[in-house]
Amino acid sequence: MITRFVLRALEGKIVVAIGVLLAIAVLVPALNLLVPAGSAFHVPTYAVSLFGKYLCYALLALALDLVWGYCGILSLGHGAFFALGGYAMGMYLMRQIGSRGVYGDPLLPDFMVFLNWKELPWFWYGFDMFPFAMLMVLVVPGLLAFLFGWFAFRSRVNGVYLSIITQAMTYALMLAFFRNDMGFGGNNGLTDYKDILGFSVQAAGTRNVLFALSAIMLALCLLIASAIARSKFGKVLVGVRDAESRVRFLGFRVENIKLFTFVVSAMMAGIAGALFVPQVGIINPGEFAPANSIEVVVWTAVGGRGTLIGPIIGAIVVNAGKSFFTGAFPEFWLYALGGLFIAVTLFLPKGIVGTIQHGWNARKALKAAAEREKGEDTDMMPQAAE
Amino acid sequence: MTTVAETRSKSLLYLENVSVSFDGFKALNALSFVVEPGELRAIIGPNGAGKTTMMDIITGKTRPDTGTVLFEDAIDLTKRDEADIAQLGIGRKFQKPTVFESHTVWDNLELALNRSRGVFATLFYALTGEDRARIEEILETIRLTHRTDELAANLSHGQKQWLEIGMLLAQEPKLLLVDEPVAGMTDAETAETAILLREIAETRSVVVVEHDMGFIRELGVKVTCLAEGAVLAEGSIDFVSSDPKVIENYLGR
Amino acid sequence: MLIRFVTLFFLIISAAAPSLAQSDPKPFIDQLADANFKQAEEIIGQIAATGDARVVPALEAFAEGDLYARKADDVVFITKTSGSKLALVDPLTGESAGEAAKGAMTKIKVNNNLRRAIRDALGALTLMSPDRNARLQAANTMLAAPSEDNLELIETALAKETDGEVRARMEEARAVSLLTSGRSIEEKREAIERIRNYGGRDAIGVLRGAYGSVDASLQPDIDKAIGAIESEIALWDMAQNVWYGLSLGSVLLLAAIGLAITFGVMGIINMAHGEMVMLGAYSTFVVQDLIRSSAPQLFDWSLAIALPVAFLVTAAVGLAIERGVIRFLYGRPLETLLATWGISLILQQAIRSIFGPTNQEVGNPSWMSGSFALGGMNVTWNRMWIIIFSLSIFFALLVLMKKSSFGLQMRAVTQNRRMASSMGIRTPWVDAFTFALGSGIAGIAGVALSQIDNVSPNLGQSYIIDSFMVVVFGGVGNLWGTLVGAMSLGVLNKFLEPWAGAVLGKILVLVLIILFIQKRPRGLFALKGRAVEA
Repeated sequence: MITRFVLRALEGKIVVAIGVLLAIAVLVPALNLLVPAGSAFHVPTYAVSLFGKYLCYALLALALDLVWGYCGILSLGHGAFFALGGYAMGMYLMRQIGSRGVYGDPLLPDFMVFLNWKELPWFWYGFDMFPFAMLMVLVVPGLLAFLFGWFAFRSRVNGVYLSIITQAMTYALMLAFFRNDMGFGGNNGLTDYKDILGFSVQAAGTRNVLFALSAIMLALCLLIASAIARSKFGKVLVGVRDAESRVRFLGFRVENIKLFTFVVSAMMAGIAGALFVPQVGIINPGEFAPANSIEVVVWTAVGGRGTLIGPIIGAIVVNAGKSFFTGAFPEFWLYALGGLFIAVTLFLPKGIVGTIQHGWNARKALKAAAEREKGEDTDMMPQAAE
Repeated sequence: MTTVAETRSKSLLYLENVSVSFDGFKALNALSFVVEPGELRAIIGPNGAGKTTMMDIITGKTRPDTGTVLFEDAIDLTKRDEADIAQLGIGRKFQKPTVFESHTVWDNLELALNRSRGVFATLFYALTGEDRARIEEILETIRLTHRTDELAANLSHGQKQWLEIGMLLAQEPKLLLVDEPVAGMTDAETAETAILLREIAETRSVVVVEHDMGFIRELGVKVTCLAEGAVLAEGSIDFVSSDPKVIENYLGR
Repeated sequence: MLIRFVTLFFLIISAAAPSLAQSDPKPFIDQLADANFKQAEEIIGQIAATGDARVVPALEAFAEGDLYARKADDVVFITKTSGSKLALVDPLTGESAGEAAKGAMTKIKVNNNLRRAIRDALGALTLMSPDRNARLQAANTMLAAPSEDNLELIETALAKETDGEVRARMEEARAVSLLTSGRSIEEKREAIERIRNYGGRDAIGVLRGAYGSVDASLQPDIDKAIGAIESEIALWDMAQNVWYGLSLGSVLLLAAIGLAITFGVMGIINMAHGEMVMLGAYSTFVVQDLIRSSAPQLFDWSLAIALPVAFLVTAAVGLAIERGVIRFLYGRPLETLLATWGISLILQQAIRSIFGPTNQEVGNPSWMSGSFALGGMNVTWNRMWIIIFSLSIFFALLVLMKKSSFGLQMRAVTQNRRMASSMGIRTPWVDAFTFALGSGIAGIAGVALSQIDNVSPNLGQSYIIDSFMVVVFGGVGNLWGTLVGAMSLGVLNKFLEPWAGAVLGKILVLVLIILFIQKRPRGLFALKGRAVEA
């Protein structure tokens, strides 16, 4: 049953995308570690981490595509799940610092010593264990999504209302995490990590492994998302997006369908956040900012929602653009990003991949129509193929 | 003479004294209405008579302020939601044809099939030979076999109406509620639809809301006329259409 | 000699016009120059009889021994030691009158007898001054510094007092002084009652201070009185909180009211709404800047001038946004949300490029600053004006929507576009102008908010979520809902604040709204029925 579920995911484009991801998971570290620094093919270590960051964003965009592209839920709070996953990882990394912090406290992270705290808060327990922390990377965002979705979908909060309250959710979390009393480092967040599973987070080797893991995780999540999308469940999702009441009157429990998708998507976002944090070296409340979550939406929209591959491409393209602009013309970036929001909604509603797919399908349909006509009427000839 | 209790115990759908109001406007006013198993029933009435609201109440979309709504004399529909009621065996076709436009005709029917609808059941669902045969059979019934792989968005208006009826059939309901099935259809399509509905009614109960008097005459069944949220008249089409109250309220002088 | 002559002259005048003489104490003060103790006591009485409050500093200086006469001409001055010399001050006007060597001046001697006479005179002067305000002030002074010595004086003054307010204040002053005196327990009990009625934090201080010194049988009375005062203060604090809440609510109302039109009435999700507010605030800044440089005398009018400017600027920007982007996206709310977010980014960056990223200084006109007390509450004028302002905008808008033909067309279009258009209403223009109106009102709100918030490119960002919360909470499509929503959220916020802190309070409000929307997805004042679902 599971194998069939997975096999169904392996449609042509998805196979190619997974192949590409796995290839770069090997290739980029190889170009970094094996090719000498002088060579034109050498990838510098900072670039490995930068690409790793893009892949984490791509995973976040993929997660959003599952709820927005397929289920029609425009979440303006997916950054919250990303940040929560990031915080779970950050807490593990903080615990790993041990007595190497500035204050040298073996148990308490520096910021707690600074705040004059005497004991580790209960919610920090267990984060010194890697498996527990990784479990929390999934559980915390998943639980928040479950609680939020449980209330929201049950009471049929829909459309823009849902978008607005997801935005309020991430905004409230941002305000909460800015508070020192919360015990997550307040304004400064969690940073100054030393090592992960005993390997220094600064070391080139660790960075390459993190990069490869990001690529592999993205490939894995793409596989899962594709399997979901191509199952009957995926078809129901699209049904919910296009005609929710029809789905209800067919006897489906729309709230459960949405809830499941929302939770799965939140967990993927959490994974993305967890991979993101050791590669950039910091997590702070700014990640909860509503603007961040909306930016994820534009990556997804640019690439093409409801295509799974599109959001991945969109996230990478937009973020590469951002890196370029903020370096070269910092003034210009917000104009470009703002313009992108407008241009995509007005001129490219299906996004890059969606538009290509649409053109492709239209051609195919035209061809098929021509074929049929040929079959029916062998005298009528080539001009129909145009 | 049958007693109330007998009517109720024999009924498939039983509405008694159902009232609902929206901001002071009484959409249904002590409506009572009974459908027997295997019955094909037509409902007529002017705009605002409460036809759609009645369907909303039966299918769990709207909760009545007061009144009893029973299915098979046992199940209180006012306590169930849409998904529950659909699973109990009540299918509904909307006034505006509502199909999944970005799915193929086949997928539309596959989604509607009366199979386990849980999250994990649908995630790991695989098409069986039995299901395939059932879908093909329905395609035949709704005359869409030749358009199986077409996106529903590309169907004509009439074909969408049929596809929606086909989806209801795939649900295998005991009771079908059909809201204006022939609106926007050509005369030929209308006639064909009448035949289709009569075919369907052989195995289950059907309630049709329609404005098209010609179509209702073609169905040749018991007619209920609603006005201002209550039953105005009930009986054969000739009996109802000669009722002076019906003429005044609906058919026009 | 000359002075003698002048004095004589004055004495003659005073005989001729007693009222004038009585109101000028100067000659009496100068008579002190060569008076003995006995004479001085008489003169003090005469000075007091003038009832002129200007003599107070002179009398006080006399008591302190700072009153000197110039040997040369016997003119009396208040002095201060300044090095080896004495700085001279005119005893009545307080103006400086140069310096004099110590040897050139004679100190006017004072003894305890005189000091008592002076104090009585002072009290009588002020407590029995014909000027009502002087009496009130004297009573207040005594209230603030209770002393047993004042008691008799106050009682004398009380016997003559007719003005209600002054009398009440004197009673209070008497009570406060009585508490620490040697009077009977009964009288003190009454005094405690009096102080309890007076109320306020000072009263608690007085009562606490007297607690140890009074007879033990009075202590329960004091406890009771303190309890009563405390609960009264709590009540005023509550009122103050409601006031703060309404004030915050009016800010929310200002921010949300434009949105109530674009989102509530038209259904457009305008994420650039906050930037319209921001543009309004910047318009105020530009207007003030121009006024400062070219017509500073108009500064108090700057807000009045900024209002139409801000309205026109933001309405024009709104019109451009509607015609340029939004009209292509009707019926696609999520896309509208994204496109307008893009617009908001561009507007923010544009303002940042033009004015820089830092806060701009927007001044308060004089009538916006200061505050006044209302019972136990402190009310600042700028908050007061903002409440008044937001309510007037609200009601103006309400009238526009309900009474004007534009309002009628607007409602027609939003309720049934096709019908409206077939009745000859030019729906695209109604859409455009409605959106421009909503944007313009956001701009006006920006003028007001520039008075209480930092004017920076991020100004709008801080309001956008709150504004949406208000509109959604109040119920979409219902202006009254927006009013009630804004005010109740404001008050709720201010009541949570002391209990949970400002940030946590805000978080709690957000969580409560999120939960509320789950319960009532269409807000407080929801429209019901079939039409809504369609």
